[in-house]
Amino acid sequence: MNTDAWLHALDGELRRRGIDPALARHVVAEAAVHLRDSRQAPLAAFGPPDAYAAAVAESVGSPVRSAPHRRSAPGPVRLEARGIVKRHRRRTVLSGVDLTVRAGEIAAVVGANGCGKSTLLRICAGLESPDRGEVRLRGTLGFCPQDGGTSDFLVPDEHFALVGAGRGMRRGAAVRAGRAYAAALDWDPAGAGQARFLSGGTRQKLNLVMAGLGDPDVLLLDEPYQGFDRGSYVDFWRQLWAWRDAGKTIVVVTHLLDQLDRVDTVLDLTPARTTEARA
Amino acid sequence: MDHERRGQWLRGVLDLCVLAVLLRRESYGYELAQSLDAAGLGPIRGGTLYPVLLRLQRTGMVTAQWREGESGPARKYYRITEAGGEMLRRTAADWETFTRGVDTLLREVATR
Repeated sequence: MNTDAWLHALDGELRRRGIDPALARHVVAEAAVHLRDSRQAPLAAFGPPDAYAAAVAESVGSPVRSAPHRRSAPGPVRLEARGIVKRHRRRTVLSGVDLTVRAGEIAAVVGANGCGKSTLLRICAGLESPDRGEVRLRGTLGFCPQDGGTSDFLVPDEHFALVGAGRGMRRGAAVRAGRAYAAALDWDPAGAGQARFLSGGTRQKLNLVMAGLGDPDVLLLDEPYQGFDRGSYVDFWRQLWAWRDAGKTIVVVTHLLDQLDRVDTVLDLTPARTTEARA
Repeated sequence: MDHERRGQWLRGVLDLCVLAVLLRRESYGYELAQSLDAAGLGPIRGGTLYPVLLRLQRTGMVTAQWREGESGPARKYYRITEAGGEMLRRTAADWETFTRGVDTLLREVATR
């Protein structure tokens, strides 16, 4: 089997095992580089494609597509929004939205642009008031905005210390926890410069890490993965399941519908707006 | 050396050896394999090495980045994280304790 044929077979085997296509590309590219550097035959260096693909699949854990299913019954209700109505000038953005999420559940809020997803999240976070309706929240809260949220002239460690301080953490503990969360997102913030020099995707990782600092009970995440590459995106969902398994309540705004089989509740805000348009 | 047994030994310590090499400086797969060989571990196959690197990456012990080298094409460079360094230091101490026991017993054999 020549190298190209072997690499092609490996790609197929990785995908067949449900490995994320982007990750599969990385694995194949890395094997190709290795084969060129070592001048070895693929079978000698890596063995048969299916065996190597199996070893890769085992190393990266369960494939993303078969996300861990519910392990235990969900816990008590942590977030309850009832009859939320919000108008921006004359336009009704939210017309009587209900959302109930328990401990150990992920709720996805979906819908077209401008249908009020971010507004709903900000109302749940207490950053905006609804015109009608009420939000009940039991426990502590972490919020990850869609953008903003970072301070241009602070380095990541200072962000961790600052947010940690607000959640009763000592500086050292906050920085350690921040770096550990960052590592789970495949980001090493130790030597990173001020936030204004970070890429958009990395700034969002910083936002996400800050939301999780201090172990809040409820996490509200507004499309936190913008600018993530595919690998980071996979890490992000892993982090979400880890939080869910730890009994957190998670609300995530998303427009990516391929994720919806991995969440517990889906709140689609689009119909409300369609009705509104017809009315 | 018995091939089978060498494989078993490697399985137990390869991740630690990889981290130890990365503690010197960041590196990519093939270079890591060469460093491990030079350190006396013998040749490590790509099929053995990369799954270990993936696991280390998944557990946050290393980070990885594709980058152009000074010469040649892009390679995936691995760098040990702070968590990886901590884990390595802890486990190196455990390893010391463990092998001391094995050493003591096996040395008796050599002197008999």
